[in-house]
Amino acid sequence: MNEIFRPNAGLLFMKIGTHAREDLKAIIARKTEEIRSTGFGMWGYGGNTCHPSSMVQPFAKSFEQRGQTIHLCMEQMLSNHFAEPLCAAEYSADGMTWHEIPETIRVLGSRYALVIDQLREERFILPLNQTRVPIGPSMGRLGSRYIQGRVDKACLEVLEAPELTNAADQREIEINLVATLQAPYAVFLRGQR
Amino acid sequence: MNGPIGWISKVTRRVIPSPTAVQPVPQQSTLPAERRRVDLRKAINAVSDVVQNRPRPLRIFDQIHMKTGDMVLQSEMIADWADQKRLAFIGDGDAISVCVAYLRARDVLNFGPSHITVFDFDERTVEAVMNFADRERITNLDAQLYNVLDAMDPGERFDCFYTNPPWGASNNGESVNVFVERGMEATGHTGEGVVVIADDDELEWPKRVLASVQQFSAREGFYVSRMQRKLHEYHLDDAPGLKSCNLYLAALPGNKASRQSGAITDPRRLENFYGLSQEPRVRYVRARRRLDYGVAHEDEYELEFLEVSGE
Repeated sequence: MNEIFRPNAGLLFMKIGTHAREDLKAIIARKTEEIRSTGFGMWGYGGNTCHPSSMVQPFAKSFEQRGQTIHLCMEQMLSNHFAEPLCAAEYSADGMTWHEIPETIRVLGSRYALVIDQLREERFILPLNQTRVPIGPSMGRLGSRYIQGRVDKACLEVLEAPELTNAADQREIEINLVATLQAPYAVFLRGQR
Repeated sequence: MNGPIGWISKVTRRVIPSPTAVQPVPQQSTLPAERRRVDLRKAINAVSDVVQNRPRPLRIFDQIHMKTGDMVLQSEMIADWADQKRLAFIGDGDAISVCVAYLRARDVLNFGPSHITVFDFDERTVEAVMNFADRERITNLDAQLYNVLDAMDPGERFDCFYTNPPWGASNNGESVNVFVERGMEATGHTGEGVVVIADDDELEWPKRVLASVQQFSAREGFYVSRMQRKLHEYHLDDAPGLKSCNLYLAALPGNKASRQSGAITDPRRLENFYGLSQEPRVRYVRARRRLDYGVAHEDEYELEFLEVSGE
């Protein structure tokens, strides 16, 4: 247990690695500088498992109402991500009202982005069998049974205790990198610049 | 039971050695005498035509498409269930309506509804149905732009309804009940319906939703006539293993509507309609006009020409 991983806490788990042909070290350096110069950064992502308005925003708001902060907990992995490194031009929290992305922020090869600050290296073990999905069509499913196959990211809630099973793999994940989500938590991206 | 699944799956197994052949096979005593075997290849290719024509789903409205293999089986089941009846689809992003009509029009099935109308708030879906029906000369298939929160005026009464609505994970199935209510109204509260909703043994919310829908249906004078469990899979990245069932409803004898159809404005029914904190705000999804419908969009590609010698 630590400040991030404690019962009833909300966290967004994500596997990370090379993205849009840029290696992780370069991404971290770039995002750290974005946060320093802008006050926040945008962590690009894709897929449909953490849709900005139907998953991440209501999830984060429900924890915000309880006075809690959502942490983005990232597990480093080896990956090839061949998406074109196209730089998004605009962002929107609701898909209707669009704003220009600040010049100091570059989000590459992504349809969505998490709005983050306090990006830092931090190592701890995340037992996925002590988490559950609190929102969406998989609501109630244990994190250890949800994060598998193509599902590489999830909104999760920490349980009081891990599920007791005889499963050989208890799905203990090593987290390497952490950030804090900032309102509006997740946004849609469009355009190129 | 003349179980359509059992029937088509038997057919499927037998067709595999020679998928292109339409072979007359002696009628099985358990099958209706007038029905013949399904040519699986023709059925899959017909559904493929429909999938090609279908607009892409909008996740913000919980539009999630059924996988194609399950669409083939589902279409056959629905065609069988609604044979020679007037069938209303209350929303249909999957395009099961088109599959059912097209399989009959192509003579892949020799049974099916006498008429199908799709009521959907997505103009892309409505236009896709109408364009497909026009192109394939399917005269018993049409579609109307309709938001489920508005009063239902079906014109001529339908015999049965089909709906695969937002599954109501965050509102205890109330969004399902809204769609079911419109379906019941389309039949004058005297018909039958199929409701396609989540079905999962591990999760709690699908069980609560199933209970909620059954309770609502009972209050409206309908009973559950049968249930086909865990039939369909979806292109749903955040719940890839989640399946849905067919819940069959039928009106009790002599059932009557307890009220006239009206707009649904009760905030309690609208809360979390499309998911947590996702209240309905949009009356219609309007289609953008484009001339390249059905082929690659011009903004997807650019041409790099061969070099011409001498230039």
